Amino acid sequence: MRKLNRTVTAYALAFLFAGSGALVGCSSSPDEAQMKQLNDLKEEVASLQKEVAAAEQQKSALEKEIAEKNAKLKKCNDDQAIVKQRLAK
Amino acid sequence: MKVTTVLFVLAALLVCAIGANAQEMTKDQWQQEITKQTQLRNDLSAKVKALAADVTRMQNQSSQLDADYQKCLDELYALVGSDQAKAAAYRSEIEAAENTANELMRLSDADLVARTDDVNALAAKVKSLWENKLSLIPEFWDRLTALNDKVKSLQGTLANQVKTYTVGTWAKERDCLWNISKKKDIYNNAWLWPKIWQGNRDQIKDPDVIHKGQKLKIPKGNELNAEEKSAAKKYYSKKGGA
Repeated sequence: MRKLNRTVTAYALAFLFAGSGALVGCSSSPDEAQMKQLNDLKEEVASLQKEVAAAEQQKSALEKEIAEKNAKLKKCNDDQAIVKQRLAK
Repeated sequence: MKVTTVLFVLAALLVCAIGANAQEMTKDQWQQEITKQTQLRNDLSAKVKALAADVTRMQNQSSQLDADYQKCLDELYALVGSDQAKAAAYRSEIEAAENTANELMRLSDADLVARTDDVNALAAKVKSLWENKLSLIPEFWDRLTALNDKVKSLQGTLANQVKTYTVGTWAKERDCLWNISKKKDIYNNAWLWPKIWQGNRDQIKDPDVIHKGQKLKIPKGNELNAEEKSAAKKYYSKKGGA
C-alpha cells in the first residue's frame, strides 16, 4: 500500500512538473522588442488620428471662409451691375 | 503530509501558469494587431496627405478670392470716379451723419425743437452726400436712404409741433384773438382767429373773452377748415343779431 502511494505521488509530481514546464516553455508570446514595435505603431496611429482631426478642422474652416469670400465677391459683382444700371439712367 | 503539501504547491503553480498564459498576447495575436495597426497607419497617412493637399489648394483659392475681391472693389469705385480711400472717407461721413440722426431721434419733441438748426444742417448734409456719385453704390445708397427716412421723420416731428402763445393784457399787448392771429409769428392773418378759438374750446367759451396768462395752442394751417368757418359764421351772425 505504501509502495502504491509513493508511485502515485511520483506520477502526480511528474505530471505537474511536465504541465507547468509545457505551459511556460511552449507558449509563443511576443518578446519585448516586438511589444515595443506594436506600442510604437499604436502611438503613431494615435498621432496620425490627431493630425487628421486637425486637418479636417482646418479644411472645414477654409470651406467656410471660401464660401464667405465667394458671397462677398458675388455681391461686389452685383453692385457693379447695379451701379452701371444707375449710371445709365 | 509533506507529499500533500508539495502537491498543493505544484498545483497552485500550474494554475498560476495557466492564468498568466491566458492573459498574455500570443504571437499570432501580436501579428494580427501589427497588421491591423499598420493598415490603419497607412490609411491615416494617406488621409493626412490628401487633406494637406486639399488645405493647400483651398488656401490658394482663398488668396485668389481676396485678390479678385480687391480688383472688383477697385473696378466698382472706378465706375463712379472714386477709389477705396475716398470711399472710406465717404463711409465715415455717412457714419457721422447716422450718429447725429440717431442722437436727434432720441430727443424729446421739446428738445428737438430746440435743435431745429441741427435737423436742418443734417438734412443739408444728407443732401450733399447724395450729390456724391459714390451714393450710387448700393452700400451707400441703402444707408443714405435710411438716413433720408430719419431726416424726414425728424422734420415731420418738428412740423407737427403745436406752437403756444401766452396771452398778455389788453392794456399793454392789446391781446385779443384777432390781434394774436394777426401777429407775424402766429398767422400773420387776423381772419384766422377762429382757428385759435376752435383749437382752444376747452378754455375759450366766448372768443371775445381771453385772460392774461392763458396758454393758447396755435393750430397749424393757413386757412380755416369747415368747422372753424362754421363757428366763425355763427359768431358773426350772433354779433350781427345782437
